[in-house]
Amino acid sequence: MLSVRNVSFKYPSGTQALSDVAFEVQGGDIFAILGESGSGKTTLLRCIGRFLRPKRGAIELDGRSIWKYEEREFRQRLGIVFQELNLFPHLTVLQNMSLAPVQALGQDRNEVEKASREMLERLKIAEVAESYPNQISGGQAQRAAIARALMLKPECLLLDEPTSALDLGTTEEFAAWLLDLKEYTTFVVVTHDVPFAARVASTGVLLEQGAVVLAGSVDAIEERLRAGMAQGA
Amino acid sequence: MKWLERIVRTAAAVWILVLLLGAIPEAGSAYAASTAAESFTVALTGKYPPFSFYSDEAELVGFDVDVSQLVAEKLNRELRIVTTEWDGILGGLLAGKYDAIIGSMAITPERAKSVDFTMPYYVSGAQLFVHVDDAGEIQSLKDMEGKKAGAVLGETFEHYLVTNHPEISVVTYKSTVDIFQEMQHRRLDGFVTDRLVGMYQIKSAQMPFVPAGPLLYEEQMAIPVKQDQPELLAAINQALTDLEAEGELAKLHEKWFASIHAAEDESVAATGSAEETGGMSWGTIAVRLLRGFGITLLVAFLSIAMGFILAVPAGVVLHGAPRLGQTVVRAIVDFIRGTPVLIQLFFVYFGSPQIGLNLSPMVAAVVTLTINSAAYMSEVVRSGLLAVSPGQRVAARALGLSPFEVFRFVVWPQALRVALPPLMNSAVALLKDTALISVISVAEVIREAQSIISVTFDPAKYYLIVAVMFFVFTYPLMRLASAFEAHMKKRGFAGA
Repeated sequence: MLSVRNVSFKYPSGTQALSDVAFEVQGGDIFAILGESGSGKTTLLRCIGRFLRPKRGAIELDGRSIWKYEEREFRQRLGIVFQELNLFPHLTVLQNMSLAPVQALGQDRNEVEKASREMLERLKIAEVAESYPNQISGGQAQRAAIARALMLKPECLLLDEPTSALDLGTTEEFAAWLLDLKEYTTFVVVTHDVPFAARVASTGVLLEQGAVVLAGSVDAIEERLRAGMAQGA
Repeated sequence: MKWLERIVRTAAAVWILVLLLGAIPEAGSAYAASTAAESFTVALTGKYPPFSFYSDEAELVGFDVDVSQLVAEKLNRELRIVTTEWDGILGGLLAGKYDAIIGSMAITPERAKSVDFTMPYYVSGAQLFVHVDDAGEIQSLKDMEGKKAGAVLGETFEHYLVTNHPEISVVTYKSTVDIFQEMQHRRLDGFVTDRLVGMYQIKSAQMPFVPAGPLLYEEQMAIPVKQDQPELLAAINQALTDLEAEGELAKLHEKWFASIHAAEDESVAATGSAEETGGMSWGTIAVRLLRGFGITLLVAFLSIAMGFILAVPAGVVLHGAPRLGQTVVRAIVDFIRGTPVLIQLFFVYFGSPQIGLNLSPMVAAVVTLTINSAAYMSEVVRSGLLAVSPGQRVAARALGLSPFEVFRFVVWPQALRVALPPLMNSAVALLKDTALISVISVAEVIREAQSIISVTFDPAKYYLIVAVMFFVFTYPLMRLASAFEAHMKKRGFAGA
């Protein structure tokens, strides 16, 4: 459903951030884009999110170039939750969730709020509905940001470094929680946390210096990495 | 966000209101465009008893007021009187704000270069006054060498002293009231003013000052008009000639100066005249101060509201518009912030007729303060926008909001929360800046106070009352600003 075909990206400064990146994400899957910081993960995320336009290669959603979609339709189909979450601090969690459906999609406010509450219920954070972002924990904020993105019913949802603010125990809890949401959308997890990726994702790619160096089963990638480390040590 | 809509709607109403403002007569200065047919618009200060001042009933009265009325009747035109500050009164005439000045203006060659004077309608002279304790020591201007003499800024006496007596150090003041204060505190050794006026004021204020020496020179008081109006000049001259011949001017002299001549005779010093002028009733004073403060608040409110509406787009441009737009707005904002409000006020009021706009003092004041507050508030808006992290915009875009929706629902509400306390402080500053608009004769509270002081001679009391009136409004605003700031900090807003 999401295919990245031979994408290369060069910043105006001359840095070659992506070289010939290609992979395919299947619907209903959790897909992992792995790599250390500086490997090109963020640039790739920005390209898929239409915040950067690569000069070479193509990114397609359901067989159609992402650049051919209307802005609104594209944003509805492909969601992104950034590492910083960026919950809107002046709005409650419920208001954060209903803003885009009501204002951008013109849906009925009462129905959206009802759906938001159901979503929070389903995501096991019903208690934060009326709270402001600075009144909730990091784990709750993470889930609230995902809930906000899910309100648009995207076909594909990109999560940027979802575990960076979570400790080990919470990460495991979060992984279980995420697996439980597979019915909602196709998740693409962009992360440097390989054990977490192995826990939630079946397939993925490993980026190094802007290029895909490993692809396929995440377990296999994890295995190869472990072997590589053992070799190096 | 309903309140935002409400602000926008209110602001639109305010814009319409300001368009209608020209039609609102200002309290205390019934100004109308001098081009209106059949009206004869005359300027005077309203602070120069017994020639022009406010009576106990808050009516403008005096010798000059009566002369104006008689002249208008002779011209068969309807009299309108503008009260304005003395140091801008000629500028106003040249700018076409009124037809003539009937404000005890002496004929001087310098003034005659820029305006045409009618025949004199009374004659007075310059007199040195000193403190009664110094009367033995200072008997004439010769004894003033190396001493300090006071004069009202812009009056002929100031010019006379500076030109003819460089040995005397001349200090200028806005009004005789200020000079009396300085004399009382012995910070001045003497002052020069019109003999008639001086005697009248000293008696009214019950001040221990006496004339020293003979008249320094004689002054002929006449009516200046703009130089391109020979018909008007001739008509006023004819009117004065007729009034003189009919004995009307003599009657006015009798009416206004009889008590003064009597005052020179010590045996009749204790007449009721001091009470008539000095004893303005508290009711009148309260009504005038409150009415003046009402105008102050109206001007401040309109300027703040409209300034804010202009400041939002200006702040957005300053924050992130393309280079050209940013450079232009930045230049305008910097210029306004880098120049005194007083100069801007004069520029708008006296300069507007040159581009074909004859703004009333009230409209000129609102326009100036609106532009001024817009400049300051646009900087506040800009810093508010800067405080919103770029991630907020990107996240909002990723949710499918359009650029306008991102601004309207995500960026602006956050920026406003950060900007609100400094915006409130700007409002406080602007409210205080309204004190300046008295110089272009808007009848706001300072001008009312000055006018009351010109009769009561008690500046400390009335300026303190005015200061308290301002404080009653500014203090809660300041408290509210800090309380809101603390609240925002608790809610974790960037920059707050």
